Amino acid sequence: MANVQSRRKIAWLVLLVLVVVVLAIVLTPVFLIMPFKAQTPRIVEISYLMRRWSPWLTLFASALMVLLAIRLWLGGRWWSRALLVLLLLPAFAATWLARQNHFEWMFNPLPNAAYAKSTDVSFINDDDRVLSVTIGGESVAYPVRLMAYHHLVGDTVGGTPIVATY
Amino acid sequence: MWETTVDGRVLHFRLAGINNQNFIMRDDETGTWWQQVSGKAIQGPLKGKQLKGVFHDEISFSIWKREQPHGRVLKPDERILASNQYAKPNWETSVGAMRVVEGTDVDQRLAPRTLVIGVSAAGKSVAYPLTALQKQSPIIDTLGSVPIVIVLGDDKRSVRAFERTVEGRRLEFFQKTENNELQLIDAETGSTWNFEGKATGGPLSGRELKKVFVLEDYWFDWRIYHPDTTIYNLG
Repeated sequence: MANVQSRRKIAWLVLLVLVVVVLAIVLTPVFLIMPFKAQTPRIVEISYLMRRWSPWLTLFASALMVLLAIRLWLGGRWWSRALLVLLLLPAFAATWLARQNHFEWMFNPLPNAAYAKSTDVSFINDDDRVLSVTIGGESVAYPVRLMAYHHLVGDTVGGTPIVATY
Repeated sequence: MWETTVDGRVLHFRLAGINNQNFIMRDDETGTWWQQVSGKAIQGPLKGKQLKGVFHDEISFSIWKREQPHGRVLKPDERILASNQYAKPNWETSVGAMRVVEGTDVDQRLAPRTLVIGVSAAGKSVAYPLTALQKQSPIIDTLGSVPIVIVLGDDKRSVRAFERTVEGRRLEFFQKTENNELQLIDAETGSTWNFEGKATGGPLSGRELKKVFVLEDYWFDWRIYHPDTTIYNLG
C-alpha cells in the first residue's frame, strides 16, 4: 500500500515538473522578445532555441502528461481530479501556443498582396509616404501606412523576388 | 528591403519577433531568424548569411506618382481596412510620442525620437536631422572619400542623396528657388538636375547621379545599428 502511495507521489511530481517546463519554454520567449524591451544577442539566442524546440518538446511532454493523468485519474478523489484538470489545461494551451505565431495575430500577414495602378488609387493621400522600388523598369510603391501594419510583403519586381519591409 | 534569393533558393519571410524594437523575420524554408534592419541571419541554419539589399526610396506618394506614372501601388487588405487597424494619416505624430527601448544607454546628443536621415558610405555613418535639411537644402558633404549631396524634395519631407561626382569631376549644387518643382543647378557647368538625380538641361544633360541609400529613422534606432555615427551640424 505504501508503495502505491509513493508511486502516486512521484507521478504527481513528474506531472508538475512537466507542466512547469512546458509553460516555461513556451512563455519565456513571448516575454523575452516583446516590443519595448531591450534584447541582447544571448536573449535572442535563447528565444530562438526555445521557439525552435518547443513544438516537439511540448508534444512529447503532453503525451507523457496524458499517460500520467490517466493513471492519477483512476483511483483519484474528486479534488485530485480537479487538480489534474487545472494543471493540464494551461499545459495543453501552451502546447497549442508553441505552434502559433502570435506576432501574426497582432499584424496579419498579406500573403496574396494585390496592387492598383498609380492612376487608380483611392486609399492613399498625396502626402502619404511610400517605399518605392524600381527594378528593370518596373516601379512599385508600398504605402508606409500599410507597411507599418504588415511590416513585410513578398513581391517580385522586374523579375527579382524581394521582400518589402518596414 | 531585401532580395529573397539565398544560395539559389527563394526564401519566404514572416514576422517572428522583436529585437530592440526592430523586427525579426523567419523564413519558412529553413526557420532561420533574420534581422529586418540589417538583412543578416542572426540565428538558425543560415546564421551569418547576409541578404542583398534592394535600393529603395521613402518619398511622398505625390512625388512617386509624378516620377512613375506607370507604376503599381500595394492595395490594403479590405478586412484590416474595414476594422480600422491601419495607421491613421497622422500616424507619425503618435509614433513620435511613443516610448523607446528600455534599459539601453541613451545617447544624449539628440532626443531619442528625433527624425534623422541616416547615410552610410566609405565606412562612415552620418545622421542628418530632418530639421537641418528643412533649413538648408541641398547639403553638400563628403563621407570618407565619397562626395555626396543630400536633397530635400519639393514636398519638404522626402529626402534623397547622390554621389556628386560626374566623370571624375566633383560638383557643387544649388537649389533654384523660383521653381515649384525642385530643380538643382551645379556650379561647375550650370546644368540643371531634378529630384531623381538626372540632368535635364545644360552641358551634362542626360547624365545621372549615382543614388546613395538614405534611411529615415529615429535617432535612438539609427544609433543602435550605427554606434560610430556622427551628427551633421549646420555650419
